[in-house]
Amino acid sequence: MTHPSDIVLTGLGLVLPCGDGIEAARTSLRCGTPCFAELPEALGRGRGAACTDFSPTGIIPPMQLRRLDRPSRFAWVAAHQAFADAGLDPKPMGDRIAVAVGTITGGSEASEAFLRPYLQRGPEGASPMVFPNSVANAASGHLALAFGLKGPSATFLERECATFAALEQGARWLRTRMAEAALVLGTDGLFPLLLDACRDARLLVRHGDPVIGSGTGFLPGEGAQAFLLETREHAEARGARIRATLAAVTAAPAMENASAARAAALAEAADRVMGERGPDRWIGGSSGSPRLDPSEGGLSRAHPAWPAPVHPKAIWGEFAGAGGPLLAAALLEPAGRVMITCPGSAGPQYAAVLEGVRL
Amino acid sequence: MTGGPGSRIRVAVTGLGMVSSLAPDREGTWSAMLAGRDGLGPLTRLHLPLEPARLAGEVPIACGRHQTHCEAMALRALEEALDGLEPACDPRRIGIFQGAGTSGLPVAEAYLAALLQGRRAPAAEVVQQSACTVTDALGRRLGALGPRGTVMNACSSSLLALGQAWERIAAGELDMALAGGAEGLCITTFAGFSCLKAVDTAKCRPFSRDRAGLNLGEGAVQILLEPLDRARSRGAVILGEVLGYGASMDAHHPTAPHPEGEGAARALTMALRTGGLPGEEVDLISAHGTATPANDGAECRAIRRALGSAADRVSVTSSKSQFGHTLGASGAFGAATALLALRDQVVSPTLRLEDPDPDCDLDCTPREARERPIRAALVNAFAFGGNNVSLILKRWGGA
Repeated sequence: MTHPSDIVLTGLGLVLPCGDGIEAARTSLRCGTPCFAELPEALGRGRGAACTDFSPTGIIPPMQLRRLDRPSRFAWVAAHQAFADAGLDPKPMGDRIAVAVGTITGGSEASEAFLRPYLQRGPEGASPMVFPNSVANAASGHLALAFGLKGPSATFLERECATFAALEQGARWLRTRMAEAALVLGTDGLFPLLLDACRDARLLVRHGDPVIGSGTGFLPGEGAQAFLLETREHAEARGARIRATLAAVTAAPAMENASAARAAALAEAADRVMGERGPDRWIGGSSGSPRLDPSEGGLSRAHPAWPAPVHPKAIWGEFAGAGGPLLAAALLEPAGRVMITCPGSAGPQYAAVLEGVRL
Repeated sequence: MTGGPGSRIRVAVTGLGMVSSLAPDREGTWSAMLAGRDGLGPLTRLHLPLEPARLAGEVPIACGRHQTHCEAMALRALEEALDGLEPACDPRRIGIFQGAGTSGLPVAEAYLAALLQGRRAPAAEVVQQSACTVTDALGRRLGALGPRGTVMNACSSSLLALGQAWERIAAGELDMALAGGAEGLCITTFAGFSCLKAVDTAKCRPFSRDRAGLNLGEGAVQILLEPLDRARSRGAVILGEVLGYGASMDAHHPTAPHPEGEGAARALTMALRTGGLPGEEVDLISAHGTATPANDGAECRAIRRALGSAADRVSVTSSKSQFGHTLGASGAFGAATALLALRDQVVSPTLRLEDPDPDCDLDCTPREARERPIRAALVNAFAFGGNNVSLILKRWGGA
């Protein structure tokens, strides 16, 4: 369990289906209108929340843009925003700044783009330009190049909760003094094979938008969310504005892949981070999925005094940064104590608390 | 944990399991390595008739129903690491940390191939099979309820997982951790490295003047770590101590290492600093040693930058000459062979090193195993994205 109360968040950058930037996200979350629509053919068949207004112009040089897969493009722009928001030039920090990325789909879009022509045409179809992006950590490598980041780096795959694993590792590197700042980032991009597999596996809602708690399925989304973490000492020394304090982040694994085990694990994680005092605000990770929603439903019933959870995935979709949108939503309104629960479809179930959230 | 080495809990390695293309167990693998054998042979598991490279380090293993090759290898390695032990500690203080490169990808490859042929394919497995599926399977077998992590840093994944396990135990958060990695051969990596012209059609020759690329391999390594005091009190056989790790990014190129090994040297230096050990006490480097023209020279320069004049008396070896490049699992393979070298005080050879490259001007242990005193070892793993990890291990001398 981690109690990194000496860790603060000083920068935020967002690429979401509602648009790029903090204001677009805040407006979207306040009005609560889902961003789902028929997807462009290049991203897959069916409905989802795509970042159709995403604009890297003026941020990613055109020569670089050609080499990047979709999650890396989103990550680059979100990181650019986060550094600007924090008022921090990362280059002079060199190896004192770490990168921790969470993703569900990272590398998969490029794997499909590489493999499809290879399977159809053999070695002639294999592209040496595409293959390097087929690794899940492609985004962190591109970020290192773009921003001169030379500290430790890790990319996590933890299903719907990967960005919470990244958050935990980023905070740990700061606490152990392996870095003074950490860019924590969630990023995911939509691609045809993902849509096909989710639909064939009957995970997607068939009609209309997903309904939280219904268990009828989710709709996919995409985007990236960047969070700059610093030690309080480092942030205060440079006069940074502190957006929030990371009070706690923890996970409890579900031993069996069953609804009751997942619910018990999420409840344990939430209990650990909350202690006696309840949250002023609750951001939940339910998406309409029968594998996620019951866990938070049970938690809500067990704590009737807690505020009703806000569900960003009902607006921006599942995936979309592997838990990153939940952390982002927690930073969009002022609050004394915000709890974020992030149920996963198997394995570890995450919870975190942010304190002193300021705009 | 924020203090120096003296303020941390010391971390012991008390279990080690290996499933390699040389043998399905640790001692079989190690004795074959010392005898100068390799596990490279004709590629049979993938049907890629148009690929010029036809060699790989394959691991034949029976898989259970709904079980991937990776999962089967990882579980077998875990059983060997446990060696009959069932953890007798709070399950909430047992953590699982795994590194993966392509785990789950063969399932997606089969699904896509079926779609392209107009066949229906089971989609549920594609969605469910991810790298963390192996981590969860190991967690279930151990009954572990502590933290779990699945790192996908390409070829440095499993070494970083070992670093994560170390930092949790050193900080007093866990009583036991399982760390390692499993990697299976798949079409994407075979075709991908081939189109990058990074694969040798002959057996690879790390550090050689005429080195022409890597061979791909598969396998699994699982390593049990626990607090040294706890290991001693239960009378466990201690294979070595983990002193710490270092990690860095090159910020240089998406696939090529920094030519002077600048980033790798920072990872090595950070590992030494974290471990509180001077470079003069390092006697062995279990190298990344891929046998690609770009890697080996840059790695040797990184070792020189980090160790200075002490680099002249260190032994360097590349286990990729025996197993091929096991990608996400390769860091754990490097750590496993370093632990066995520390135990037996013998360095496994770099095979086929007949004509050393003057650009790799270190003692790279050509052809034959060599007995020598080994006090401490550094293990290197470098990855796409300029991602570098070094782990530092120390011989257990009973004090």
